[in-house]
Amino acid sequence: MLRYLMRRLVQMIPTMIGVVLITFILFNLVGGSPARMVLGDKASARQLEEFDEQRGFNRPLFFGRTSSTRLYAATDFRRSAGPWTGSSGVVHHTEGFLRLTGPASVPFPLSFAPLPGHRYAWRLEVRTSGEGTALRVRDGTRELPSGTSVQGWTDGVDAAGDPYRPQLEVPAGVTVDLFALTCERAHARPWQSQWSHYLGQVLRFDFGTSHAVNRPVADLLREGIGPTLLLATPILVGETVLSLVLALLCAYRRGRWLDHTVLVACVMLMSVNYLVWIVAGQYWLGYRLDLFPVWGFESWSYLLLPVLIGILHGLGPNVRFYRSIMLEEMNRDYVRTARAKGVGTAGILFRHVLKNAMIPVITNVVLSLPFLYTGSLLLETFFGIPGLGYISVNAINSSDVDVVRAVVLIGSFLYLASNLMADIAYALVDPRVRLS
Amino acid sequence: MSANVQIAVRSGAWAQLWRSTRARWCIGIVLVYVAMALYGEAVYQWHQWHDVVPSYQHQDLDRRFEPPGRDHWLGTDALGRDVLQRLVQGARIAFRVGIITSLIAIPIGVLLGALAGYFGGKTDDVIVWLYSTFAAIPGLLFILAIAMVVGKGLLGVYLGIGLTMWVGVCRLVRAEVMKQRALPYVMAARVLGYSHARIIVRHILPNVLHIIIVAFTLRFPASVGTEVFMSFLGLGVQGEPSWGIMINNARLRLWQGVWWEMTFVTLALFLLVWAFNLLGDALRDALDPRVRSQRT
Repeated sequence: MLRYLMRRLVQMIPTMIGVVLITFILFNLVGGSPARMVLGDKASARQLEEFDEQRGFNRPLFFGRTSSTRLYAATDFRRSAGPWTGSSGVVHHTEGFLRLTGPASVPFPLSFAPLPGHRYAWRLEVRTSGEGTALRVRDGTRELPSGTSVQGWTDGVDAAGDPYRPQLEVPAGVTVDLFALTCERAHARPWQSQWSHYLGQVLRFDFGTSHAVNRPVADLLREGIGPTLLLATPILVGETVLSLVLALLCAYRRGRWLDHTVLVACVMLMSVNYLVWIVAGQYWLGYRLDLFPVWGFESWSYLLLPVLIGILHGLGPNVRFYRSIMLEEMNRDYVRTARAKGVGTAGILFRHVLKNAMIPVITNVVLSLPFLYTGSLLLETFFGIPGLGYISVNAINSSDVDVVRAVVLIGSFLYLASNLMADIAYALVDPRVRLS
Repeated sequence: MSANVQIAVRSGAWAQLWRSTRARWCIGIVLVYVAMALYGEAVYQWHQWHDVVPSYQHQDLDRRFEPPGRDHWLGTDALGRDVLQRLVQGARIAFRVGIITSLIAIPIGVLLGALAGYFGGKTDDVIVWLYSTFAAIPGLLFILAIAMVVGKGLLGVYLGIGLTMWVGVCRLVRAEVMKQRALPYVMAARVLGYSHARIIVRHILPNVLHIIIVAFTLRFPASVGTEVFMSFLGLGVQGEPSWGIMINNARLRLWQGVWWEMTFVTLALFLLVWAFNLLGDALRDALDPRVRSQRT
């Protein structure tokens, strides 16, 4: 048994890595940095940069020595002078370069003062008309030979602790044509990437902070789990009990009108959209008949209507599934034996079939346990129950990536855990599973 | 020879399907919706082509909240727009979503499922890993997260639903292909020296086609339903009359006694999903002998 358990655990690891990888691809690779979306158009470049720094978005994706930065807005000089507009001693030529005439000492137009502890790599493409032009960067002054591209590095802060701005020194009588200038963030440790940052977060169970409400995600989740469980547990229990009873009744009266009616009703229940249940329930039961409160989370009575709707919505597929399991069991040999012994239909159903059918039933229930956690997005949203579903929908609406990612990740891990639980239950009940 | 037998079985299945009154009704209803969606598409394209404000967006503030009558068969909404025309456009969007998501999901699912089932071994391991990873992520949340990342709009809906829906198809196709691969006709084909690609495409896939058809019929209403509440939550269709948006608009007016928009939209949605669900069941009964034996 222990060996079986270990084997299953080991098998789970690739899937867990897969889940982490998929969330990474989805939110980092496809989604990119949500900084602009989150902070809005009025945010300064520095605020955006700090947002990214905090969430590890300003690093290379998997591996690399450089990554992009907002310190200097790279510009195509054929179009405009970009951030250089207005710099003294700089003239923009529409042929595609900036002309700097000496004597001048021209600091680079930066979006913000370089951040402490950061290292930036500058790459210039220049043509100089004489000797003596120099690029002054943090690690020294560099001669600019004519007609070449030059690289230089700057740290964010100089020895005295002041932010350091790189600048070009142009001697008298010399002109410098600047064709291109790019700035990248340099990284000393290339493995320190977005991926490693994310992996570290996952391993430390650190889910970051929600920017929308500016609180740790873990706190939000802790608050949301209570209402979600209060809503989801009665739904799961009620749904399971009710559909088992109906499935047994159907199996008992197989082919009779009761069976047919329930089956037809199931398909109809399945076909009603969740939305319609919610809107109709709120309108008829909540507003017209005034039986239930419609919105809020103040006492247990606020849960009645959503629970009722949840049960109704889940009933259709469950009854059909359980009924087909019961019928499958009823074709087994042991049922024939029991019948030959003279056991009545009810006895067969309740004493023999139900017990054997419990394995797939339990599996089904265990596998739906993670939904207790994710909660019903729609029910919680439209009944104002401040659970995880409500939090998730709000987070999605405000593109609160950290919250969405945390809920997705935890939901997936819980699913895997419940899968494992189902397997263990299987192996406990049926020794053949362990051997295969 | 096996192909002949197969065709005989298949044509028998279609005949059986057609014999069922319920299935005929469902096909009829679905065809009505198809006609509606095609008409809606034509109207939409015509207005796109002529670059004018579509008639279903035409506002008439003097005729707000008109109950069903001669000018507007299904009444008007809060901005005096014709509910019937918007309903037809909603059907267009529902069909677009149902079809395009299937066009994303079914090729991925069938391809991966067939490869995994046919080759087994390492290929199988990788593909099973891939789909169990996708299956582990909570469904609706995953769809909404994809839509959030891609951006609000129809593209997000297509990708969100399509990129999660293939898992079920893949799993079913893989299981069926594994079963088929063990049958003698595959062995015969291999003895004849046919390539793997030819065996999969020409011999095995026709035999698992029923799985794909049933999967399509059952996934279609599911994607339509998902689109409706994505649009309802404001993450789906933007600026077009999707059923979800119509329900959201009508929900607020329902309290003031404006019942028609809500009633007709929910009815249209229910009928479409119901017909597809029943049709899916009937197809499964007709095409999959294993299930048929269970039902009796």
